[in-house]
Amino acid sequence: MNLQQRNNVHLGGHGDSSIVFAHGFGCDQNMWRELLPAFAGRYKTVLFDLVGSGLSDLSAYDQAKYDTLHGYADDLLEIIDEFTTGPVIFVGHSVSAMIGLLATVKAPERFKVNLMVGPSPCYINDANYVGGFTRPDIDGLLDMLETNYLGWSSTMAPAIMGAPEQPDLGVELTNSFCRTDPDIAKHFARVTFLSDHREDLPKSTTPTLILQCSDDLIAPVSVGTYMHAVMPLSTLTVIENVGHCPHLSAPHVSIAAMEAFLQTWDR
Amino acid sequence: MSGIDRDLPTADALFEHAACGLLVTANDGLVIRANATFCTWVGCSAEDIVGKRMFPSFLTMGGRVFQQTHWQPLLHMQGSVAEVKVDLVHSDGRTLPMMINVVRRQHGSVFMTEMALVIVTDRQKYERELLAARRKAEQALIERAYAEEKLHETNAQLSKTDQRKDEFLATLAHELRNPLAPIGNVVEILRAKDSNDSELQWARDVLECQLTQITHLVDDLLEISRITQGKLELRKEHLDLSAAMLAAMESAGPLVRRQAHELIVNLPAAPIRLDADPTRLTQMLLNLLNNAAKYTPVGGKIWLSAERQGSEAVLTVRDSGIGIAAEHLDSVFDMFSQLAPALERSQGGLGVGLALVRGLVTLHAGTISARSEGFGKGSTFEIRLPLLDVQAEAAKVAVKTSAVKTAGLRILVVDDNEDAIATLAMLLRMQGHTVEVAIDGAAALQQAEAFIPQLVLLDIGLPVMNGYEVARHIRREAWGQNMVLVALTGWGQADDKLKATEAGFDHHLTKPIDFDSLRAILRAV
Repeated sequence: MNLQQRNNVHLGGHGDSSIVFAHGFGCDQNMWRELLPAFAGRYKTVLFDLVGSGLSDLSAYDQAKYDTLHGYADDLLEIIDEFTTGPVIFVGHSVSAMIGLLATVKAPERFKVNLMVGPSPCYINDANYVGGFTRPDIDGLLDMLETNYLGWSSTMAPAIMGAPEQPDLGVELTNSFCRTDPDIAKHFARVTFLSDHREDLPKSTTPTLILQCSDDLIAPVSVGTYMHAVMPLSTLTVIENVGHCPHLSAPHVSIAAMEAFLQTWDR
Repeated sequence: MSGIDRDLPTADALFEHAACGLLVTANDGLVIRANATFCTWVGCSAEDIVGKRMFPSFLTMGGRVFQQTHWQPLLHMQGSVAEVKVDLVHSDGRTLPMMINVVRRQHGSVFMTEMALVIVTDRQKYERELLAARRKAEQALIERAYAEEKLHETNAQLSKTDQRKDEFLATLAHELRNPLAPIGNVVEILRAKDSNDSELQWARDVLECQLTQITHLVDDLLEISRITQGKLELRKEHLDLSAAMLAAMESAGPLVRRQAHELIVNLPAAPIRLDADPTRLTQMLLNLLNNAAKYTPVGGKIWLSAERQGSEAVLTVRDSGIGIAAEHLDSVFDMFSQLAPALERSQGGLGVGLALVRGLVTLHAGTISARSEGFGKGSTFEIRLPLLDVQAEAAKVAVKTSAVKTAGLRILVVDDNEDAIATLAMLLRMQGHTVEVAIDGAAALQQAEAFIPQLVLLDIGLPVMNGYEVARHIRREAWGQNMVLVALTGWGQADDKLKATEAGFDHHLTKPIDFDSLRAILRAV
């Protein structure tokens, strides 16, 4: 298996150590473009798409392997082994923040620091824990996915992806998330939103930044507070922003928060 | 100003009552403007909305997550998204399916988000139907795959079971056969002991008769096992069908006679040549004859005939017996498919014989079928076997023609087996020879002296005076010097050939007789 093709890996930047970015649910590596210039001068950069998302190799999507986030965490460790030397700075958004956390538990020596953007270890409310969602909410999302992916069957995907190197507007989709297979999208949604990794949080010994938005439907501040309480080497930073993607809607504030954390932990 | 220009609504009026819902929000999602169309659709007044509601508050929970994870990041990156499907929540709680196009634009120093929404109730309905159809098709595919897998498993299971059954039968037949040999020997010992006790003789006869039956059954079983396990090899040779017919007729003789049946054999007018295993060919016919004898009430008729039809030899065994019901015709060749009426009969068997015949016929690339007019109206079994290639046979046909010239020899046939003697004599007479018969040595010597045959076919295994002694006697007589003496012995006893030569025989044939060899001998006389 060619890792570069499987995960659509793109390398760049200059520096002694590497910074690895992983996108969240529903997106692809393009979402890091506002942040990338701030780090490419000091670090080697590694961008990739999760298998099943973006321009990854959809044929590598093994339902059994990706039935838990551990499948993705194993992929991340393979990418770190293949494309970097020494421990890395990891930046993960949303579900990838948890994927990164699982990887730091599996192989702590590969990580210098873990920067979690909009993370949540568990999306569904459970007793005193407020994840923000109920099970019917998640079913509603699955339904929404289904109607929006309607017509984009997996058989059409190869034709659309036939010319990725020539981003012709006639060929390029308006909504790039429709590139992926609807079945994969729904499976990934289920795996993401029904996951519960609260017990894994204290196991990570990697210095961690928990970057929360002040108004985020997907990962409310309460979740950030909970995580900070149970993670030994964690720093919680809440930035003023409405939405789940501060790296897109508030890139400068996000960069500043990350830089501040790196100054403490990556010297 | 033209009439149309004068009547044109203002831009504001156009905005308010456009054919789509129009919405402008601040960067954080707060509604800045909403047209009347949108307000009507969601059941709110502009005052309730503008400056108060965030756009996501009109969405279902699933819709909000979809916005946050899917199209909001995309909107930030590419400035617009199109054809996004959302459900808007009406103030009364109903949801309305909508399609929206969104543009994010800078106005002065701030970014604003502008949206156009249309209701897609009908479209949603057929989208749902499409989805349902797709699910149904996928389900059907899954079910079919599952069914195919099950079928495959069942087949594998069945063939495994079938294989185990074959192995079991083979083992069983072997195990049953072992004790049969010593039992047979004991019967022989009992025969050797001269006993005047008629009850004891009767008991010995019953024992022998039953032993013969069980031996046949076990042998058939063993043969079938070998066929189904692919272990039976044919020793094919070019042969004349008549020989096999006569051999079968000879072997079936005892049973036919015991049942007081009349066996009518119609040999083909012209020789029918086959590439077949002579032993197996005889076995097929014999089994059919035995079957006919068993299922025909005492004093019935059995016909054995053969003819050429196109490129096939058609062998028919017909009887005047109990017949076969139409519904059983197909299964009559299956093992253990013995018909119920047959079981009630004293001779009812396990139905192994016909299965064996079919197996042997199939091995010979032939077919077998059964016909019956119904219960009590007799049965007809028909075997069809491929003929020898005509061209390959051309040379031999030429030889045959010359064989006709040999017609007219005087031949003496000596054998203590009445069936053997009858069939062989019949065949020779059909070829135009004059034939006399004798059933023991003494009768043979008398006939030889009176008839002065040109050729004597002499069975070695005669009682009292065996074939060697008869031959020596003949050779000692003046009239016996020029006779051609042919020894007939059992299958493949090589050292007997030497003995035969010493006793004065000119030729030696093993039984069953190869008629080509016999013809060659007759030609040479």
